[in-house]
Amino acid sequence: MIRIRRSATDGHIDTPDGRAHYIFGFGNITGVPENELVNYRAGAELMAPPLVLQAGNEYIVTLTNLGTPTRPDLDDPHTIHYHGFPNQIAFYDGVPEASVAVPVGRDLEYYYKPLDPGTYMYHCHHEPVEHIQMGMVGPLVVYPIDYDPSRQAYKTAYGYGTGTEFNREYYVFLNELDCVIHNLVATVQEPDWTKYKPTYWLINGRSYPDTIVTDTGSRLLSQPWPALIGANAGEKVLLRFVNLGFQQQAMEMLGVTMKVVGMDGMRPVGQNGEDLSFNKNIIYIAPGQSYDVIFEAPTSSGSYPITLPFYNRNLVKNNLNGTQPGGMVTEAQIYPPGTLPPQTEPNRFP
Amino acid sequence: MPTVNLWAVDGYISTPDGKSIYIWGFTDQEGGSAQLPGPMIIVKQQAPPDKTIVTVNLTNNLPEEVSILFPGQSEVEVNGRPVQPQYYNGGLVSFTNHVLPGETITYTFAAASPGTFLYESGTRPHKQVPMGLYGSIIVRPHDYMPHQPEHKTAYGAGTGTEFDREYLLVVSEIDPDLHQAVEQGKPYNIRSYKPRYWTINGRCANDTMLPHNMSHLPNQPYGAMVMMEPDEKVLIRYTGAGVENHPLHPHGNHTRLVGLDGRLLQNRTGNTTVDLSYKRFTVLAGAGQTHDQIYTWSGLGFDPATNPVPTVIPNLRNMAIGHTGMTMWSGSPYLGLKGELPSGMVSFNEVGEYHFMLHSHAEPEITNWGAFPGGMMTMIAVYPEGKLGHHHGTLPVESHGL
Repeated sequence: MIRIRRSATDGHIDTPDGRAHYIFGFGNITGVPENELVNYRAGAELMAPPLVLQAGNEYIVTLTNLGTPTRPDLDDPHTIHYHGFPNQIAFYDGVPEASVAVPVGRDLEYYYKPLDPGTYMYHCHHEPVEHIQMGMVGPLVVYPIDYDPSRQAYKTAYGYGTGTEFNREYYVFLNELDCVIHNLVATVQEPDWTKYKPTYWLINGRSYPDTIVTDTGSRLLSQPWPALIGANAGEKVLLRFVNLGFQQQAMEMLGVTMKVVGMDGMRPVGQNGEDLSFNKNIIYIAPGQSYDVIFEAPTSSGSYPITLPFYNRNLVKNNLNGTQPGGMVTEAQIYPPGTLPPQTEPNRFP
Repeated sequence: MPTVNLWAVDGYISTPDGKSIYIWGFTDQEGGSAQLPGPMIIVKQQAPPDKTIVTVNLTNNLPEEVSILFPGQSEVEVNGRPVQPQYYNGGLVSFTNHVLPGETITYTFAAASPGTFLYESGTRPHKQVPMGLYGSIIVRPHDYMPHQPEHKTAYGAGTGTEFDREYLLVVSEIDPDLHQAVEQGKPYNIRSYKPRYWTINGRCANDTMLPHNMSHLPNQPYGAMVMMEPDEKVLIRYTGAGVENHPLHPHGNHTRLVGLDGRLLQNRTGNTTVDLSYKRFTVLAGAGQTHDQIYTWSGLGFDPATNPVPTVIPNLRNMAIGHTGMTMWSGSPYLGLKGELPSGMVSFNEVGEYHFMLHSHAEPEITNWGAFPGGMMTMIAVYPEGKLGHHHGTLPVESHGL
């Protein structure tokens, strides 16, 4: 039994136009002693710390509600909803109307034994309109039972022999932020959700150009996940797309073809095992969906590195509250073979 | 051959936040009020080579022209001629033959493919469809026999589309300003279309979870709760009757998509069949589109005696339960058992069934004019084996057959 612990609390994130935004969110408090938990209040991260699991293992994920120091009047419960978990029982599904939620100062243990590899997501399901928009969203990845990063044939998204081998992997976690609504929540006012109108579009909790910053210094401490994609020419790169915003997005990468090998944590396979994978330049993804795609990093006929733009084809969203370019824009940088060392975790290079 | 008599009329629907909204819609009862969505039309195909000709008589009791489109159907005709768009002074009025106020028009079409389809107004559709002039058509395969499991299918024996229960979920949106403008005869600029309510089978949550034919919802006769027992195959038919796309996410499991827009997801060449069905946990129910899916849920085998849940169940008085004053939870983690809920808590749980939410993941759509809970949300209720009546999730073989 492997134990993981998540806090539910609040915090702030930055956008490149110099503004800070109030958020709710999750933090990673695995292994933190009880008497130090207070130090993790207001430590919400966007995107939420990924839940990284492996098929066949058993997990207990403890959710601890540390409250919202910026809104001490607010005593909202929280939950973890493992979005897409097959055959879940109601008690571990995290829907307050159909099970229990975690009040401030309490814990709840969720048990998962994932059997199906793929890219999933988790989020709070208490008043989900508000708590999802406020930032209680993160990716959840299940590695296959035979996953072995030291052997290429076993470093796969969906298991040996499924044609999903990869060399590097990156989260492409999408959501939007309506700064008017975040301000209303920060100032104890009730939003009308039919007026939802996002002002910022984020990859991994960041807006361009913060998406391509790998060394942030003292900035972006609550947004620790860059979205800059790096690979050596010829390598296979796995992108794990998750959309937990409220809008559809159309993510396009120039210069490569993306092969869709997973949708919503399932290989596209017919009832008789037919391979239904397909190739795309643009991943059109709706709220609550995930896609796994693999592309081969191209070889340069000239100099390196090659930079491949990677951006939202819903072009009018590529801005920072309308004031300057930004949004769901990042890039892939391709280096000569053998340049970048192996990854130690997703989204990291060198 | 089936004949359906429809009247285009007006009426009112209710929302859970206490509003009454004027609609235009269809009824199959002479003198009846508009219902939302329109009456479910279910026809069974004739065995080939016979065609299945469906006749729809539409009488217009509204103050302007009305028509019906039958997207996905073959040989749609009026008076033996293919339907044609209608113009007035060079401007497009209808995508198909329409009928003037006070008159009746007769459409016929051939139901050439099993599956789930939409019917909707083709006249000023940007106004008339959102006003409520839409409904759904189910075409059953010619070999459909509900008491023979291998013949209780969406697309015919041998297509891998067997099911035990079936549910039709028609989704749409409502901009109350449009409805008020039509009711009061005032102008409305369609550019300002801004939904405030989102519906499944014409109802907003939590009314979606109520049974069919509630007396206080006379013009919204169809419930939207999906009820099943473990291991059953449940055919869930989505019809996107609105003008927007809705990402519908069922908790508890993926669905396998077996049909799109009333066509089986299979390619056949000679004796070779390529199955194109696939699994998803969020399906984008797009404008005008239909999705036929098989949902199953088998659980994880937890049992209090032999396989207890491996976590500590906290004292429920210390937990947050039913913050809106009610819960659908049983108080127990186990299927079929009820636990002790904190006193004063109203539980709508019947026999220890599990409830899994099915909702739009464009989350502002699960509100009623911005207030959660509401809108495009319902539950999938998994009952303990043997505890759910057979009539739940049963639709007739034919609705208007002779």
